Amino acid sequence: MKNFLIRRVLMALMVLLTISFISFVMLKVSGDLAISLAGENAGADYVDFLRKTYGWDRPLYIQYGDWLWNALHGNLGASFYYGKQVMALVAERMPVTLKLGALATGLAIAAAIPMGMAAGIRPGSLVDRIVLFIALLGGATPIFWTSFLLILVLGLNLRWLPITGGTDMQHLIMPALALSFYSMPAIIRIVRSGMVDVMASDYIRTARAKGLRGPAIYFRHALRNTLVPVVAVASVQFGFLLGGSVVVENIFAINGIGYLTWEAINQNDYPVVQASVLTVSAAYVVLTLFADLVNRAIDPRIRLE
Amino acid sequence: MTASTPLVADDQPSLSRSRLPTAGPGLWVGGAILLLTVLLAIFAPLLAPHSPYAQSLAERLIKPVFMGGTWDHPLGTDHLGRDVLSRLIYGSRMSLAVGFGTILISAVLGIGLGLAAGFRGGRTDAFVVFLLTVRLSLPIMLAAIALNGLLGNSLGLMMLILAFFLWDQFLVVSRALAMRLKNAEFVLAARAAGFSDFHIIVREVLPNMTGPLVIVATLEMAHAIMLESALSFLGLGIRPPAASWGLMIAEAKDFVYFEAWLVNIPGFAIFTLVAGITLFGEGLRTVFENAGGR
Amino acid sequence: MSRMVSAAVSLSLLAASVAAATPAFAGKADDTLVATFAAQLPSLDRFYAPGREGFLLGLLIYDTLIYRDTQTFELKSLLATDWKWIDEKTLELHLRKGVTFHNGDPFTAKDVAYTFNFAADPKNKVFDRITSAWIERVEVIDDYTVRLHASKVTPLALQYIVQVPMMPADHREKIGLQAFSEQPVGTGPYKVAGKKGSDIVFERFDSYFDGGPKTKPEIKTLVYRTVPDVNTQVAELARGGVDWAWYIPADQAERLAAIPTVTVVNAPTFRIGFLTMDAAGLATPDGPLTDTRVRQAINHAIDRQAIAKTLIGGSAEPIRSACNPIQFGCEQDVKDYAYEPQRAKQLLAEAGFADGFDIDIYGFRSRPVAEAIVGYLGAVGIRANLVWQQYSAVVQQRRDRKAALVIDDFGSSGIADAGAPTKFYFNGAPDDQSRDAEVDAWLEEAGSTNDADSRKQAFSAAFKRIADQAYWTPLFTMPINYVMSAELEGPVPKDENVEFWKYHWK
Repeated sequence: MKNFLIRRVLMALMVLLTISFISFVMLKVSGDLAISLAGENAGADYVDFLRKTYGWDRPLYIQYGDWLWNALHGNLGASFYYGKQVMALVAERMPVTLKLGALATGLAIAAAIPMGMAAGIRPGSLVDRIVLFIALLGGATPIFWTSFLLILVLGLNLRWLPITGGTDMQHLIMPALALSFYSMPAIIRIVRSGMVDVMASDYIRTARAKGLRGPAIYFRHALRNTLVPVVAVASVQFGFLLGGSVVVENIFAINGIGYLTWEAINQNDYPVVQASVLTVSAAYVVLTLFADLVNRAIDPRIRLE
Repeated sequence: MTASTPLVADDQPSLSRSRLPTAGPGLWVGGAILLLTVLLAIFAPLLAPHSPYAQSLAERLIKPVFMGGTWDHPLGTDHLGRDVLSRLIYGSRMSLAVGFGTILISAVLGIGLGLAAGFRGGRTDAFVVFLLTVRLSLPIMLAAIALNGLLGNSLGLMMLILAFFLWDQFLVVSRALAMRLKNAEFVLAARAAGFSDFHIIVREVLPNMTGPLVIVATLEMAHAIMLESALSFLGLGIRPPAASWGLMIAEAKDFVYFEAWLVNIPGFAIFTLVAGITLFGEGLRTVFENAGGR
Repeated sequence: MSRMVSAAVSLSLLAASVAAATPAFAGKADDTLVATFAAQLPSLDRFYAPGREGFLLGLLIYDTLIYRDTQTFELKSLLATDWKWIDEKTLELHLRKGVTFHNGDPFTAKDVAYTFNFAADPKNKVFDRITSAWIERVEVIDDYTVRLHASKVTPLALQYIVQVPMMPADHREKIGLQAFSEQPVGTGPYKVAGKKGSDIVFERFDSYFDGGPKTKPEIKTLVYRTVPDVNTQVAELARGGVDWAWYIPADQAERLAAIPTVTVVNAPTFRIGFLTMDAAGLATPDGPLTDTRVRQAINHAIDRQAIAKTLIGGSAEPIRSACNPIQFGCEQDVKDYAYEPQRAKQLLAEAGFADGFDIDIYGFRSRPVAEAIVGYLGAVGIRANLVWQQYSAVVQQRRDRKAALVIDDFGSSGIADAGAPTKFYFNGAPDDQSRDAEVDAWLEEAGSTNDADSRKQAFSAAFKRIADQAYWTPLFTMPINYVMSAELEGPVPKDENVEFWKYHWK
């Protein structure tokens, strides 16, 4: 266990380092920071002065080391557009996106587990077909289309939910529903196939031979059997939602990390773009590390590949 | 965007385990949709009643024929007076180009790495697995919009950027298969006969992998088409005046609460194609599994 | 099985019950006006908040020395009670007594000097330096008297003063620019109460001074909400979730007008739409746009009448000169390029582009208009690729000499004088893509005298030359649509300077 832990953490650190390098290259490719910082009408002298002040005239590997050192201290520079430290901006915008992602993942799991189980009990049955059709719908409907429909029905016709203007639960339900509808199919499929295996297992056969019936016997056994892949898929889905929420944040006017990134791209504000890509990736790395540890605790048979 | 199953789960449930009820209808319906779209794309100039670019502000927002429009514009006209049907037909080219182009590039990338990792094992394998982990840690949407904003957006770039994010499943599958085939009898025999690794891979191994890889390809193609539409929606996809389904939605989105059909028609087209490709892929999988697949 | 179904049902019931606790809608009930805007304010410090939204912010929490009426454009005393030119370059102003900032500091001459000095200093990189840069020196005579010394004769001086918000010298320096950008303090009718998600909340400043043209607000709370998607703005307006929006496209406004709970008002602005073209070859030396015939072809290729009528709507009219026809000195008798695609093709062929050419075209405001322009250019063979970004990014790229062709618009800061657009787009300004010595000379003349007749003549010559050389493709005037709750009543300005303090519930 200890060995596994160390290797797994080392791997996560290596991945983070690589991603930080990619972010750094991205920032460098985006253009001459000195010119962007100097602003309009700046003379070449001033640009040179900035370049020297910030050390942008040194070899790239030294700049990277420097940048990394600062990044480790939470300093990723200032936004061109907001004039603020980008880490402050990211820290301001991250919580609502995390909340949205967690809510969406929760909804997706809550809907997918019963559906996947119901479908897996009797493959080929009507219930199975319906569930598979729902999964197909979820995977093939663009998120923005789902969002429009939700606004139309829940926001405009029934007036159950507010469309914009807050970060509390009721404001996040519609965007979370739109996101979860899209991330649900992957979980449904995993639960369903786990269930199919359970149904074919010796345990169930024996239980049946003994005359035991009813959903309870499937439920406990199936749940145990599918929990590991569900945790794994759900963590991946959560990571995806952190980035994928850019579309719904745009539609529902949520001031999260996705909207921040989108706006920063349109403003050519690259320090902000790289910081949010970096932060979301880091969040994802930590998340999968966590999921691995959880799974390891659930099922000690799992080995690190 | 069905998530890429992470390596940590010790198997590939989505590929090996799920047994779909019947191969029949799904495969056929999906295949028919895909074929129809390909035909639309190929014969676009013959089928489209108008030029997809011809705009006429005097004839804008004409409703489709089933909503009281005329047969001159069966699916109506958009906010610039362009014929929606013609744009839809030409748009199929863009969606398919994005779909096929992306998987072509990502397949080469993913399969190449997967074979290298599977066959050579050891450090190569460790390195490739590491690359995979890095790729999985990059948030697709955020990184794709960042790259799009950074590099500009043309069709070619779009395919490259999407391919850069969609090779992971190709790698996972080809790597697993390569590990299994490495010690298969026919491979050992070929090696004993003195054939080069390259020869063995191309002549013996790849043909034995086509089934599962085609399945991955269909699913990733659906994925690519969905991503393109999301990018276009955000204004970061294919540029006007090109006709793509994602772009059609992006252009019509401001009308969604009043002239919903303008969004629903391309939306439905994307939905149908993606659902069709998915059905086709899953149908194929069932066929392979029933045939005692690999 | 049944248990699972019941679990699913109870889950959806849960969702419904959370939903049933429906939130307070915006509006009359809690005396809160929720206004939506497409762009976020990067800073609450007016000097670092660009665009129309920045202007509105300036009006809300700050005051200027002189106020310009939003209907008649008459200049009225605000923080300055009176002013007079002592000589051609010296303006003396007397300040209103008893005015305080939101934090209680009294407003005095020191604040005036601080504000102009800060804004004029290029180091501070304020968003709109032009409005203070003409001032060479601010002289404080006593606590309530200042003299502004111009570096040269400045015909637009008063129009500039109208735009400069007065900042609290001591407070701003004490708390620092960073803190000030979050919690700014002005003398204006609303003060910043805080942020809530993407909302900025403003509250009535109860000690706002009486007797000026700006008054204490009737509505207690004003919420600035950023809603990037116009679509969502429209949905919220239809539902009553927000009370006010502007820049709603013609098609959506027309359809919203049919809903009884909202009012749609189309109002004129100083804003004009146009294309700027890289005639001087700054972005692409020897690029196609350096050829006059190509620029003329572009002028002939676009049906501005059709776009104005269908996509802009309201009272939009095509324009032919590089200024708004209602501005002083905006010469109308210039070369007119009618919509003639054939002529455009012919001109392109003469310039050696019989097969057209590829070019990136930058846009930021109205996507449908941009798409239509791309379509018209495509019809004559110019394959324009649309690059869609935010205003500031597009402008930056033109200034960095990367953007050769820009679909632009300009509101002249509400200045009714042709000097406003020309100062920004010609005369060697950063956004000048023509760099024509002859034009610059005429504009220099118009900008350095107070004599109306000679200014008019100089402008006329400049605009004739601009049209002959087709440095711009002038497009149309741009009235905008305001959409508000039917419960809300308030004036709609003719210069986009919305006065929320005059709004009240019916």
